[in-house]
Amino acid sequence: MAETAKTANGGAAVAESTEIGGKSKEAYFTAGQYALIWARFKMNRAAVTAGIILIGLIMMGLTAPFLSPYDPNIAGRDAEYQNGAPQIPKFWDENGFSFRPFLYTLERKRSAATNFRWITDVNKDKRRYVEFFVKGWRFFIVNIDLDLPGEDFDFRLRALPIDYHLFGMDKGRIHLFGTEAAGKDIFSRTMFAIWTSLAVGTIGVFISFVLALIIGGISGYAGGWLDSILQMITDAVRTVPAIPLFMALAAMVPDEWSAETRFFFISIILGLIGWPTLARRIRTHLLTERSQEYVLAARLCGATPGHIIRRHLLPSFSSYIIVDLVISFPYMVLSETALSFIGLGLKDPVNSLGVLLQNVTKVDVLLNYQWYFIPAGFFMALVLAFVFVGDGLRDAADPYSGH
Amino acid sequence: MLEISRFVFMRFIMAIITLLMVSFIVFSLMELVPANCAVRYLAFKNTQGEQITIADIKAEEVRMGLDKPYVVRWAKWVTDVFVRGDFGISCILRVRVNDLLGTKFWISLGICLTSLLLAYAIAIPVGIYSATTNKPTLNNFLRFFSYLGLAMPNFLLALMIMLISTVLFGDSLTGLFSKEYRDAAWSLARFGDFLAHAWLPVFILGWSATAFALQTVRALISDEYGKLYVTAARARGLFGRQLLWRYPARHALPPIINSLGFDLNRVFNELPIVAVILTLTEAGSLLLESLARSNDQQLAGAIIFMLTASIVGLNFFTDVMLALVDPRIRRGVMGKG
Repeated sequence: MAETAKTANGGAAVAESTEIGGKSKEAYFTAGQYALIWARFKMNRAAVTAGIILIGLIMMGLTAPFLSPYDPNIAGRDAEYQNGAPQIPKFWDENGFSFRPFLYTLERKRSAATNFRWITDVNKDKRRYVEFFVKGWRFFIVNIDLDLPGEDFDFRLRALPIDYHLFGMDKGRIHLFGTEAAGKDIFSRTMFAIWTSLAVGTIGVFISFVLALIIGGISGYAGGWLDSILQMITDAVRTVPAIPLFMALAAMVPDEWSAETRFFFISIILGLIGWPTLARRIRTHLLTERSQEYVLAARLCGATPGHIIRRHLLPSFSSYIIVDLVISFPYMVLSETALSFIGLGLKDPVNSLGVLLQNVTKVDVLLNYQWYFIPAGFFMALVLAFVFVGDGLRDAADPYSGH
Repeated sequence: MLEISRFVFMRFIMAIITLLMVSFIVFSLMELVPANCAVRYLAFKNTQGEQITIADIKAEEVRMGLDKPYVVRWAKWVTDVFVRGDFGISCILRVRVNDLLGTKFWISLGICLTSLLLAYAIAIPVGIYSATTNKPTLNNFLRFFSYLGLAMPNFLLALMIMLISTVLFGDSLTGLFSKEYRDAAWSLARFGDFLAHAWLPVFILGWSATAFALQTVRALISDEYGKLYVTAARARGLFGRQLLWRYPARHALPPIINSLGFDLNRVFNELPIVAVILTLTEAGSLLLESLARSNDQQLAGAIIFMLTASIVGLNFFTDVMLALVDPRIRRGVMGKG
């Protein structure tokens, strides 16, 4: 019922501006709400570009184990190539052209001539070739490791291994983005970091979304004194500065917690703090919508409040909720980064964008190892893409936009 | 007139209640941190080579009043703060918190407020332009530039500016004062020196706050711009700037003013991070120090309380200002519907 009401709204807006509709007005008037949003979104070139970049980044995160040539953790470190510069495969050099991209062989040696220090020589005559779909380190998609008290209760499940990776070398290793101090491959770390940061954001957004839905829903639908009390609580939570709050909470985290536990804890905290803004928006929407005729009609038919909220009110502005979620996503990712940066969030063995960014703050890195900054580029692209897609969706979901 | 003073009074009471609630949340969080102050202080003494027994800890707890129930301690803390403006003594440093914070807090607040001003000075014109224009190129460029402040992590920006200035001018731009003014009394010269250093944190914080402000302004203006009263105004022959400033911009302004307090909260969040990079000695880095490193509950509690108080204060101020201008809000709060 609410769907049709909304579509009628959208239809009215379309009737005003026929240039959106184009050829077939008929299809436009009967189109559903999401089809209309999609049609408007497609016209915004900046948003579409951002959307493509965003999907690309999300895919990178999802396929991280396949894209990464090496284990991003210490097990996959390259002891021969620490703090190494990025290696960009070549197609040709003074020795001739090759269809397969190649790298030179690096030879480490020390002798009396080098004062017994290790030096690395580039041997341009020995080429190493890039190979695709190579068998490499093993990643388990399902990897559950529960360390319960008592030896017998330890639970370990590993299944669905991935052995093949998009690219690798026939001899030696390739580090597209270079390596860091321990010799871990920055490219692999970046891929996994995108995944971690997206996961933290998703869990955080999900929790805050559920909370906002419940609190905003009750507050907006009930109104009156219950609304006043819930609003005061919402305002109080909004008033507490978040980072200090994080810091207090993070101080509670025992040092012996594993990376995974820490990760879930951080995501949950992010979620528990992020709800007030969305809750307020939902409340405002419900307050205006609940006095509409279709709600009255449903009530007269004997629908329960829960049913009215779920079936009539929420669908009436679900598009706004989606937009709000997209807009709040980058702020979650940013909070994770900020927390990790001040050393209270995720810590080094974990691959998250915040952890990788934390590594660039040393003067040594700034002056000598600039390739540490490459993850920062991915981070900026991720945030910008999210913000632009959010703006585009916002404009597209607004039936009165496109003046 | 009576109506307004009653509104202000009501709003003031609500602000106090919010502050009490927040202080309770903050105090509870401080309480959740493992090991109380006495244990921690004595553990610190222990590292200095003193032998500490359980009895010592007990005695210290009694001396600090830590043996009393939690709510009693909170009540005492709150009354001290509200009645005498006294935040007690820092747990680890053994100095009065008021002396430790001193002007540092006001400097932090000043930096944050100026950043907020900068953010809106950029966000309002860009947001209005972006919501109403149909020229995508300039619009996208302006938005890209504004959002870059959000996407580029603050510490990265701070580091880059420091690096460039070190290479080009031989001055790292860190700190808030030059060496010769660090401990001097406030004077015009010291203030000038302060301004010469403070622009950098203000710029960084302001730029990163711009993105959120811009999103808010843009959303509000484009919501208002499609409404019928704007179409009606256009039908009466208004156009361009005149139309924009007289109708949609005026309607979009109250929610922005209303959310200023929460925006201040956002800027406060960024402050400790920038402070670490630029080695500023203001409340933000003190907070980081007290929470992350020494776990100094009294000091951290005092800083968070002051931050919250300034947010609540700003909210109170903006609400009163809005009510003076807009009778609808006044009526809403008074419950006359």
